Amino acid sequence: MAKKVLNVEDDPDIRMFVTTVLEEHGYIPLMAKDGEEGAKKVKDEKPDLIILDILMPKESGIKMYHELKKDPSLKGIPVVMLSGVSKRTFLRSQAALTEFGDETVPEPEAYLEKPVEAEDLAETLKKILG
Amino acid sequence: MSITTMLFVSEFEELWFDALQSLMGLRKAGLNHVVFLHVIPRDRVAMKRGTGYLKQEERKLREIADIRFIDWAETLFEEGMEVGAHIAIGNVVPKIISVAEIEKVDLIVTARIKKGKFGEIFLGSETSDLLRRTEKPVLLYNYQSQAGKVGENPFERVFLALDWSVSSEKVLDFVLAMKEAVKRVEIMHVLSEKQIGKMSKMEAHKIERENKKRLDEVCDTFVQQRFDARPHLYIGDTEEQIQRGAGEHRATMIVLGTRQTSAWKEKWSGSISHSLAEKSELPLLIVPAGGN
Repeated sequence: MAKKVLNVEDDPDIRMFVTTVLEEHGYIPLMAKDGEEGAKKVKDEKPDLIILDILMPKESGIKMYHELKKDPSLKGIPVVMLSGVSKRTFLRSQAALTEFGDETVPEPEAYLEKPVEAEDLAETLKKILG
Repeated sequence: MSITTMLFVSEFEELWFDALQSLMGLRKAGLNHVVFLHVIPRDRVAMKRGTGYLKQEERKLREIADIRFIDWAETLFEEGMEVGAHIAIGNVVPKIISVAEIEKVDLIVTARIKKGKFGEIFLGSETSDLLRRTEKPVLLYNYQSQAGKVGENPFERVFLALDWSVSSEKVLDFVLAMKEAVKRVEIMHVLSEKQIGKMSKMEAHKIERENKKRLDEVCDTFVQQRFDARPHLYIGDTEEQIQRGAGEHRATMIVLGTRQTSAWKEKWSGSISHSLAEKSELPLLIVPAGGN
């Protein structure tokens, strides 16, 4: 059975690019245009993997990731970060959230900085989902 | 009333990262979420004779804004703050109002927004338009007169201008909620020179005494909340005296209330807050009467 991949991304051009890559490699693409919608879709659809942007309206990928990895029923879903924000900043931001009393969360399964090549994205997904 | 979410509207030419950093003192007062908004004016990408919609230009402008916002957001994320961003095409004031609603912001920060000369003559600036239409407090920076320089903490010495209206009560609540960010409050009221001039000496003294008493009461409220606060009574033209008082007390920001009026009414009857919004060299925080 084809696996469901949720892409949380506010840029419509990148959503279209990711959708194309997902469809070409036999995955079922699910889309959300901000962190708030993304968090809702994760709960409703229980995707097999999440591709997550960071800087978005309503709720950032940093907050969404942290919430996701704290939720016992969702923390097992692998996450590929796909963002213009550097990995260094992402890790520091997660550490900063911990400093404010939040629990520590693991690093994401993969971190891709934009722009990403279609082959690199597909290969990353394959490594994680098999 | 507290400030947890702030909308930072930047045209990039007029409001920069130093202004944003100068507001980080608000974290002590509860600020934990910054939302960026950049509006690409429609005429930059559309309505060009013979070229149609400039999709490529739109992409380029979005990309420029995105890169700038990512750079700013990285600094804030690393400090543990929540950051969001909107890049939109259209008219700036409706977009500000719409994003402020969507993100449920407590404060809008923007530079003075210019309008075409014709529009400014007849309807005032976009800034006035925003002040008329929003129910959120607005913090205005005026880079034109400050040569691009921003003080380190605009909330350090707040100059609070009160006219005893409903909006003044909102202003008080707002400043009291920023206790941890504000170091000193100069509280002032201006008695109209015209009004005093028509009174007998006795009546004038009575009015002065009453207003001093009200100022002292407000000042006591602030002192009880452990603010460093001082009352000041001025007589003269309100706008002039606010500017003068802010200068005398080396204020870092002027705070006052506003009543929402129509563009034409404001144009002909005048509005202190809207007029100061155009002229003040200091950051100006305007709290509308209908604000939250």
